[in-house]
Amino acid sequence: MPCALQVPLRTPRVLRTASFRLAALYLLLFTASAVVLGGAVFWMTHATLTQQLETRVQSALHHFTEDFDTGGLQGLVAHAEEYGRGPGALDYLVQSPQGTRLAGDIPVVGFRRGWLGLTAVDQGEPKPVMAYVEALPDGVVVAVGDDVRRIRQAEAAVLRAFAWGVSATLLLGVGGGIWLSQLFLYRVDAISRTAEAIIDGDLTQRIPLRGIGDDLDHLAETLNRMLDRMNKLLESVREASNNIAHDLRTPLSRLGQHLEEARTQARSAADHQRALDSAKAEVEALLGTFAALLRIAEVEAGAQRAAFRRVDLSAIVATVAEAFAPSAEEAGYALIAKVAPGIAVHGDRELLIQMLVNLVENALRHTPPGTQVRLLLGKQAGRAVVVVEDNGPGVPEAERELILRRFYRLDHSRTTPGSGLGLSLVAAVAELHGATLRLADAHPGLRVIVTVNLTRAAGEVEGT
Amino acid sequence: MFAYASGSWGFGSVKSPACVPSGSGAGGGAATEDQVKVLMIEDDRETADYVSRGLREQGHVVDHTDNGRDGLFRAGDGGYDVLIVDRMLPGIEGLSLVRMLRDANVRTPVLLLTALGGVGDRVRGLDAGGDDYLAKPFAFAELLARINALARRPPLVDVETMLRAGDLEMDLLKRTVTRAGKEIELQPRECQLLEYLLRNAERVVTRTMLLEAVWDFHFDPKTNIVETHISRLRAKLAQSGGPELIHTVRGAGYALRAAGPVANA
Repeated sequence: MPCALQVPLRTPRVLRTASFRLAALYLLLFTASAVVLGGAVFWMTHATLTQQLETRVQSALHHFTEDFDTGGLQGLVAHAEEYGRGPGALDYLVQSPQGTRLAGDIPVVGFRRGWLGLTAVDQGEPKPVMAYVEALPDGVVVAVGDDVRRIRQAEAAVLRAFAWGVSATLLLGVGGGIWLSQLFLYRVDAISRTAEAIIDGDLTQRIPLRGIGDDLDHLAETLNRMLDRMNKLLESVREASNNIAHDLRTPLSRLGQHLEEARTQARSAADHQRALDSAKAEVEALLGTFAALLRIAEVEAGAQRAAFRRVDLSAIVATVAEAFAPSAEEAGYALIAKVAPGIAVHGDRELLIQMLVNLVENALRHTPPGTQVRLLLGKQAGRAVVVVEDNGPGVPEAERELILRRFYRLDHSRTTPGSGLGLSLVAAVAELHGATLRLADAHPGLRVIVTVNLTRAAGEVEGT
Repeated sequence: MFAYASGSWGFGSVKSPACVPSGSGAGGGAATEDQVKVLMIEDDRETADYVSRGLREQGHVVDHTDNGRDGLFRAGDGGYDVLIVDRMLPGIEGLSLVRMLRDANVRTPVLLLTALGGVGDRVRGLDAGGDDYLAKPFAFAELLARINALARRPPLVDVETMLRAGDLEMDLLKRTVTRAGKEIELQPRECQLLEYLLRNAERVVTRTMLLEAVWDFHFDPKTNIVETHISRLRAKLAQSGGPELIHTVRGAGYALRAAGPVANA
């Protein structure tokens, strides 16, 4: 565990986890409801038992009152002594008008009617009783009581049962909460550890999965996929910046050489001029590379899409073919164009022209003289299809995707001039236009196929 | 006789100085490098100094201000032949400045300067009312050629039917080119090239100006398409003899110069 997370004098981490807090909250609610339930059971037990006692006492009193009515004080005393015998019997008191006890084991009480808590003596043992005092005519007092220890015992049993129950709940709840939190913490720690490792530079780390397909696994999977994607992007950025550094170093060092030459070796003004011209050419090439990079970045950002207009693709393909034909011819190439008329797309005219120019220049630059370059525009399945193909050496299948990357160049074209950015811009422009860019084998040679959606009102061309 | 395809002749929708029919002075070759009064609105001191120094060496007059508010005020006063306006300015942003000037009916030609590699910047600049557009960093020769072209923009009303340079004549109505009375057959694109050179006769036009005006290419192809087309045009113009008309200006571009009195260094 990373030491940064050890905070002294604070509650242990596991108790501060979200899952533990959740468990504790549930536990609290559960305990509170258990206490309420316990209280209710206790109160019901108490009420029921007390009511039973009262009923018993009242019915006994009723008998006594009847005895007194029929047999007078004598009969009452006789009955009371009879009733008071035996285990589980009620306790009695018959008190003379003078305040002396005539029968029973309840001590002498006053003359006030009502319930009293008393201590009776049963076979020499004191016991708590609840008694009702009844004043009969002529100052005779009768009291009937019952042992309250049974009620107390029942109540105590209920309380005990609940105490055990709640304690067990608390114990299990806290224990379970800690256990669950620990499990959770373990997995969150696994995610943290992975993240820490990645922060420290080990980009290959991935969050371990438990393979049970739960929500945390799900999260971990998503995070892992995110990491894979980021890693890929990072790699391409790293590769691009490595390439930039590499590809800029060469012209920069050549620039340095030209300037050094001008400083030390130039013997005449003409020498100076030549060295400076070379230096200027290098600077221009460098600026061209930067412009291309910035342009690609800007095209990739996609803001240009807002300015899309209807573009006469037939016209611009024809213009590009016508512009390049003489130069191609002079360099010993044949540039042949076959353009279907009236094909219009929705896009950025300037960028589409540049895309075509880059494709044609790419074909001219990376094939030997004598190569035939064909520029075709047609319609297929409701889409405009631009094909730029040559019958040159072609590009190995494995490298076809790679040549679209920034600065990527085939080994044999390392020495030919060019920034290695032309096709990257083509790819970016195609992407901007929602076009598909496909590199295929022209048997022999390379065939580049760009397929773009036609404008909605396909076929008609804007006025030139 | 060569028949020009109507679609490819002329400049169509291409917005550039070349679309505008030129005044009588363009073909005459009398006035060459007149003094141009330039207001430069640019906050980068180094660029401003570099441009001002260069333009003054060419005999032009340059005023400079480094913020949009001041620039708007001074440009509104008039009296300038060309405004050079940077896109990124403190005070008032370059495009808004141009828009405000145009709203205030100030028609002085504007050359907009912008940072490297901007896609769509040119279109936005022209939409705002700019006349030409140059991305930084630029070669001074490029800037100079464009300023000269802008400063000599003739009034819009003048309709030109004939362009001349020495013994070369171009009939814009009949779409024919003759040299010393003999007709020369040109491809449509060569015609456009020649027309642009004739409209800017006695002035340097750069490769990029030609790429923009003739092909509508607003970027720099690696292939030497301008050179090839120029050399073909030269060959055709030379068929009937006579001195070379299209001159290569080292480090800058080309200039169509009628042989004779005007020998510009």
